[in-house]
Amino acid sequence: MTAYWNRLSVGSRAFLIIVPALLVVGAILTVAVALLLPPVLDFLAANLPLARFVAAAAAIIVVTIPVAFVIIYMELKVIAAMNLRVGPDRVGPYGSLMSVMHGLKVLAKEDFTPRGVDVPIFTLAPIVVFASIPLTMLVIPFAPGVFGQDFNIGLLYFFAIGGMSVVGLMMAGWASFNKYSLLGALRAAAQAISYELPLTLSVVGIIILAGTMSLNSIVQLQAGSFLDWNIWKQPLGFIIFFIAATAEANRTPLDMTEADQELVAGFATEYSGMRFGFFFFAEYVNVFVVSALSAVLFFGGWNAPFNWPFPVTLSLDPGGMGLGLIFLIALAPVAGTIILGLPFWLLSSRVSTLRALVIGFVLFNLLIVGAFMGWAFVSAAWVSGLVWMMLKTFVFVFIFVQMRGTLPRVRVDQLMSFAWKWLLPAALLNIFVTAIAVSILANR
Amino acid sequence: MDRAFRALIERTFGDDLTGPVRQRHDETEMRIRPGDVPQVMRTLHDDPRLRFEYLGDLAGVDTGTDFQVVYHLWSVVTPDWLRVVADGIPRDQPRIPSITFLWKGAEWMEREAYDMFGLVFEGNRDLRRIYLPDEFVSFPLRKDFHLPDDASRSPGGGVRPMEDAATPADAAETTVRRTAKAR
Amino acid sequence: MTTPTRPSLDDPSLTIPVEHAGIFEPIPLARTERQREFYDLRDGEMLLNMGPQHPSTHGVLRVVLKISGEQVVDLDPVLGYLHRGVEKIAENSDFHHIISQLDPLEYVASLFCEWSPVMSFEKLLDVQVPRRAEYIRVLTGELNRIASHMLFLGWYALDLGGITPILWSFAERDEIVEMLAAITGAKLLFNYFRIGGVNGDLNHEFMSRLGDWMSRAGAQLEAGMGLLNENEIFVRRARGLGVLDRETALRMCATGPNLRASGVPFDIRRAHPYSVYPELEFEIPTRREGDSLARYLLRMDEVRQSLRIIDQCLHQMPDGPVMARLPRLLRPRPGRAYSAVEGPRGQYSCYAISDGTDQPFRLRIHDPSFLHLQLVGLLMPGNLIADTMAIMASLDPVMGGVDK
Repeated sequence: MTAYWNRLSVGSRAFLIIVPALLVVGAILTVAVALLLPPVLDFLAANLPLARFVAAAAAIIVVTIPVAFVIIYMELKVIAAMNLRVGPDRVGPYGSLMSVMHGLKVLAKEDFTPRGVDVPIFTLAPIVVFASIPLTMLVIPFAPGVFGQDFNIGLLYFFAIGGMSVVGLMMAGWASFNKYSLLGALRAAAQAISYELPLTLSVVGIIILAGTMSLNSIVQLQAGSFLDWNIWKQPLGFIIFFIAATAEANRTPLDMTEADQELVAGFATEYSGMRFGFFFFAEYVNVFVVSALSAVLFFGGWNAPFNWPFPVTLSLDPGGMGLGLIFLIALAPVAGTIILGLPFWLLSSRVSTLRALVIGFVLFNLLIVGAFMGWAFVSAAWVSGLVWMMLKTFVFVFIFVQMRGTLPRVRVDQLMSFAWKWLLPAALLNIFVTAIAVSILANR
Repeated sequence: MDRAFRALIERTFGDDLTGPVRQRHDETEMRIRPGDVPQVMRTLHDDPRLRFEYLGDLAGVDTGTDFQVVYHLWSVVTPDWLRVVADGIPRDQPRIPSITFLWKGAEWMEREAYDMFGLVFEGNRDLRRIYLPDEFVSFPLRKDFHLPDDASRSPGGGVRPMEDAATPADAAETTVRRTAKAR
Repeated sequence: MTTPTRPSLDDPSLTIPVEHAGIFEPIPLARTERQREFYDLRDGEMLLNMGPQHPSTHGVLRVVLKISGEQVVDLDPVLGYLHRGVEKIAENSDFHHIISQLDPLEYVASLFCEWSPVMSFEKLLDVQVPRRAEYIRVLTGELNRIASHMLFLGWYALDLGGITPILWSFAERDEIVEMLAAITGAKLLFNYFRIGGVNGDLNHEFMSRLGDWMSRAGAQLEAGMGLLNENEIFVRRARGLGVLDRETALRMCATGPNLRASGVPFDIRRAHPYSVYPELEFEIPTRREGDSLARYLLRMDEVRQSLRIIDQCLHQMPDGPVMARLPRLLRPRPGRAYSAVEGPRGQYSCYAISDGTDQPFRLRIHDPSFLHLQLVGLLMPGNLIADTMAIMASLDPVMGGVDK
């Protein structure tokens, strides 16, 4: 027996271990699910809101990771383009897997706790900073029906939970046994708190106009064309909101807290490995969330900029085709491949038959996928809403990234004086003018 | 080579000069005693006919027998560089007054001269080593500084112990015998 | 040579006892008046160490800051992390060999590091440099000046948080060093000047690259400078920062752009002309405000003047040899020579003493960045920590020259 085992290759050994294990585990799982599923489903049906919350939270946490990856990749490539460089281009096609590699690298690093730190607070700080962000994402409506929860105090909840990250930053700075971290944390806290006020006050205008703090309702009230968006009604509010959001997200030009030319890495100096990864991720997801909020509040959320002039309905009746359906499914790929590959095969002598067939196949797949997505876009409101929402959000993300590449940093005292002396009075002015306008228009 | 300037220097400083004023290419050189440095410098700086407000360089020199401190100055009055050599600083008492009262920027140049030669500038508020670590005990640019003797005695500099040919006194038997198995 | 008496190494005035300082015993034994003043911490003050390893000090420099909250009260730079003992090495090298060893002193502007010693040696040897060689020296020197100022621009912006200008300015620098690599064979440490001339004439690749670059240089450089000149955030941070007035600049022996930005129009190329500068027409930009913005704008003005000088050099360059005939073994007669050049950072000078042998008796290099670091301690107090780097970057020190 041992002799037989020794003669096997590594792959065969792995196969012989994994496959029986999988079979056994599969069998056990099947039995368990069959026995336990009905009571679980009954429980979920009875507590639907709770189930929805858990599902939403899980979905958000799962979604934040690819979103952060995309934003990190964007930052690398877009800033490289602005710097007349290329950016990552080795790791995947055009370097697209670079963020994944960064994530894996951060996981693989040694995770140590320096001497002298306050261990429980040191460990919890990244979690606090990271946890606040997905919780804020819970209230953002991405499409009609696609949101975590629809609180009627959604906006208030957003800012309240978003402020939790300040606590995390201060925990990080204090618990690291390091003067640099302490200074960085103090600056971060001062900056965050100073900009919280203009941030929350700048959206009060919107709340007055909409009459509700529920984000879903705010988006619905902007339905119509792009002329119904809140940006035309609250331009000053948007400017204040955007600047304050830049400060809250700790992005250049207001990124004093992580100015690595001055204080190494600020509050995160003593963090390495996945703990630092948490801070890192939290910042990028925060950028995404804040961009999404800008889109929701001022740019109509999931509303398209113009109404589709005529509704498109596809009156396809698959059942009516009968046997023809089977023929269609069997022959369409072959026919599509040949038809789409034919021009390449005919027009270029360098393209062999096999290559032409492959090209045809790929194009056919793209066509089918495109057709399917187009059908989903025009027929399902949540698909089109999601697409518009993502488009708008990523426009703002792009603006954030571009600001980072272009602008130098504002000094910390200039930052604070700008918040207190300019943004806060401007936000109050905005509220004042909005309230007067609303009362005049209501009385008319 | 400004002949008129040479005459001006000889007139102004007559007795303080310990040697002839030499000129070569575009430099004029005068030699003074180390003790006279403050008043000579002050005259050079303040006198309206001289106006040497620009200190170009402050260097220490070890001539083998004693030390010199060499100052280079520039003025709008003459196209030449003026070199002031404070000559004859004894090796066992390397003291010379500082000119930081006139040019605060000379503070670090004097620190460097102290660091490299051991010249003590009296009146310099911050006379400590600038390039070498504080524990260094010798002065490298002196002519009698020989690596590795001096530097190896200080933990801050000098050769690494591995280059020291003799075996350390507390080496284990195995290290000395260099055999595979310990006895 | 008579046997010199050794100083006693146990002389208490020459050594200080240093206890081993752990992380909980931060303050060393203060010995000098200034150290006592510095380490005497009042209530609310804290010592912060910007260590030799830091993303933003211009090389290995350790700065101990005494801060009170966010404001810097005092500053103590600690040097020596890059000290290589070049002056001692020079005493054991031939006159010809020294040139390559003096390059890495101010590595960004290495041609000026060679120019000054070479001029001193030529004075010692009474060597006449051919005119073509002088013009080539000026031409390549001004190219190096532009490259150095481009580095300053990028580094300054980086220290203020802008990550794009450094890449743009390095693209410029890239073109210039490629040009210089065509004649010198190197991109950073050129090793091009020789006693009596330069090492090799200009070649076709250099001239074609230079001509190509000169046709676009003006517009390209203006675009790069425009990234910062018109940026409100940058200007607000740089204006009024680290003001150096005229008297202080002269007292602290500041040179170069730092001196001229404070209102003193002193440029060695005009004050004490050397090489062929008397035949060239250019202005000395001077500004009176003395703040970081003035220093930055002044360096950009100097870049424009350098372009003018390069243009004139190209038009006026005579034909002829590029190297004087010199023996391989050089034995100048005993004597002393001093020469100073105007480098991009200030006055770079060399004092050479020869005793008749083929090795110099003493070679003293005077570097401008060394004195400018003293200025940081003077200009910092009252500003915020973030401005430490901004002020230091505006003074443009290069630690290779500081530490020799």
